[in-house]
Amino acid sequence: MHLTRLSLINFRNYARLTLALPPGPILLRGDNAQGKTNLLEAIYFLATTRSSFARAERQLVNWQTMERDPLPFARLEGHVRRNSNTFQIDITLLPSEKGTIRKEMRLNGVKKRALDVVGQLNAVLFLPEDIELVTGSPSARRRYLDVTLCQIDPTYCRALTQYNKVLSQRNALLKQLGERGNHETLPGRDEEDQLLFWDEQLTEQGALLIVRRQKAIADLDRLGRARYRLLSDQQETFRLHYAPSFDPQRRPLLDYQRPLSLEELLPSAQAELTVSEVAEAFKQHLRRARREEIVRGVTLVGPHRDDMHFIVNGVDMTLYGSRGQQRTTALALKLAEVDLMIQATGESPLLLLDDVMSELDAGRRARVMTMADGVDQAIITTTDWSDFTDEFRAQACLLQVTTGRVESVTLDVK
Amino acid sequence: MQLLVEPVARLIDEFSRLPGIGPKTASRLVFYLLRAPEEQAQSLADALRDLRARITFCSICFNITESDPCAVCTDEKRDRSVICVVEEPLDVIAIERTRDYHGLYHVLHGTIAPVEGIGPDELHIADLLPRLDAMPPVREVIIATNPNMEGEATAMYIARQLEGRDVRVTRLARGLPVGGDLEYADEVTLSRALSGRQTME
Repeated sequence: MHLTRLSLINFRNYARLTLALPPGPILLRGDNAQGKTNLLEAIYFLATTRSSFARAERQLVNWQTMERDPLPFARLEGHVRRNSNTFQIDITLLPSEKGTIRKEMRLNGVKKRALDVVGQLNAVLFLPEDIELVTGSPSARRRYLDVTLCQIDPTYCRALTQYNKVLSQRNALLKQLGERGNHETLPGRDEEDQLLFWDEQLTEQGALLIVRRQKAIADLDRLGRARYRLLSDQQETFRLHYAPSFDPQRRPLLDYQRPLSLEELLPSAQAELTVSEVAEAFKQHLRRARREEIVRGVTLVGPHRDDMHFIVNGVDMTLYGSRGQQRTTALALKLAEVDLMIQATGESPLLLLDDVMSELDAGRRARVMTMADGVDQAIITTTDWSDFTDEFRAQACLLQVTTGRVESVTLDVK
Repeated sequence: MQLLVEPVARLIDEFSRLPGIGPKTASRLVFYLLRAPEEQAQSLADALRDLRARITFCSICFNITESDPCAVCTDEKRDRSVICVVEEPLDVIAIERTRDYHGLYHVLHGTIAPVEGIGPDELHIADLLPRLDAMPPVREVIIATNPNMEGEATAMYIARQLEGRDVRVTRLARGLPVGGDLEYADEVTLSRALSGRQTME
């Protein structure tokens, strides 16, 4: 699939932009702070309906518009060609006076829910800060898994929304029970009755998340292993392990908070369990954690506490990886994500690479260029044309970004 | 300096506190009342006063009423062996409109929503239990809360409270709206309708 046209109004530093895009590799050159990344962010926004950068969506609306116009708004529109069909996604951002922002999404001009728009355009975004997926907190890895899975699995997306709603209600209830009750004894009949519904919803939706994550991580493990082997010139072996907050195959441990060690994870990471089996195990773990959850006023087990581990040559990269290994790990994961999307949708996703070449050595650069050549469309930002080989530049579409304007250029071949 | 005289400004403020009414609509309403015949404003004022003065909650079913107990609870012709549990007084009207239900009601005045701090104690759930011991005994409790997350949580909680009692607990069916179109039904509703399908008679 590829993007044939992109229009932006008041998005970040683009007051107004209309850009026709050809299939194949596209190189986007510009100095710092000209709007290269903003362009990739806009495309990724159309794919996922959320920003991968901004802390608040308000920041996405051009600040000059915010100050000048009585009714500020930002609008993104993309025309996508997929399987010889073309369709159009547009998203309008409307900031309100209260500081919140309203998002309106349309597919071919018809208003849709975010759920229906996510996954229409598939994109994989490569950023220099991808390394934080390896070095950062478990929440970054969960967010990554969620965004990736939502793009290819609408059932997952729906279950995730539902799970988060149930989780916040359940946490509020636990807090109220904790403030009221006596913590010496197990919760009474009435507390149990109040929790029953939320427990059932949490385990039902949560089990689906766990099963789908397990499957996706097993796929990413297999695909990532092949990618890592190439990137490291057959030197090192890569494994990706799912670390669910509880082991769905085991009875609850006496001390359920004890983190599961790697050895304990291995067997269950292989086995495929059904949603109802996982839900039953989830329920048992919740029951076990009951008193502690009420005392602390928060849900202690469940997919909102999952993690995954990157293992290279038997060593956990998050804790002990060298900088270079961590970078290669992040790159292998992203490449595996591309493969996963092809496997799930039968089409290659859009690749969006933000200034990743500067971080890589010549061999890895060559691999990235080969990959960018192999997909329907890849958009790559750079500050320097010479990061790319002459052959690559010759067949790529070259665009120059200067202060929110984009112009196509032709380079004199030296 | 105040641009509007105090009584006008005050009524505008009062109106704009109502749901769905902003400052513009509020001032339009106020100036309409200023120009309208005096009786109209008077009758609005009376209606407002009566709303709070004459309306109370029925001590049996907690529906809004003028006389306690309410007209439904005192009606000899109604079937006293069935109680329909609803969230709001408006739901009673909706069910009455079907003309198919002849039992009694029980109005909860809300649903369980922990995030908003509403638990069973904030609703009229405990008041339902003593009603089951009335003579003649209640055979069935129909739980008619809304089919959303909070409504389902409330329904399940009530069902648990009624467990072990000699009463049949039922829940309104979920599925396709009559006169609707299959192709426009959302996936969740449609899959509920599938799992709740019935044998043709």
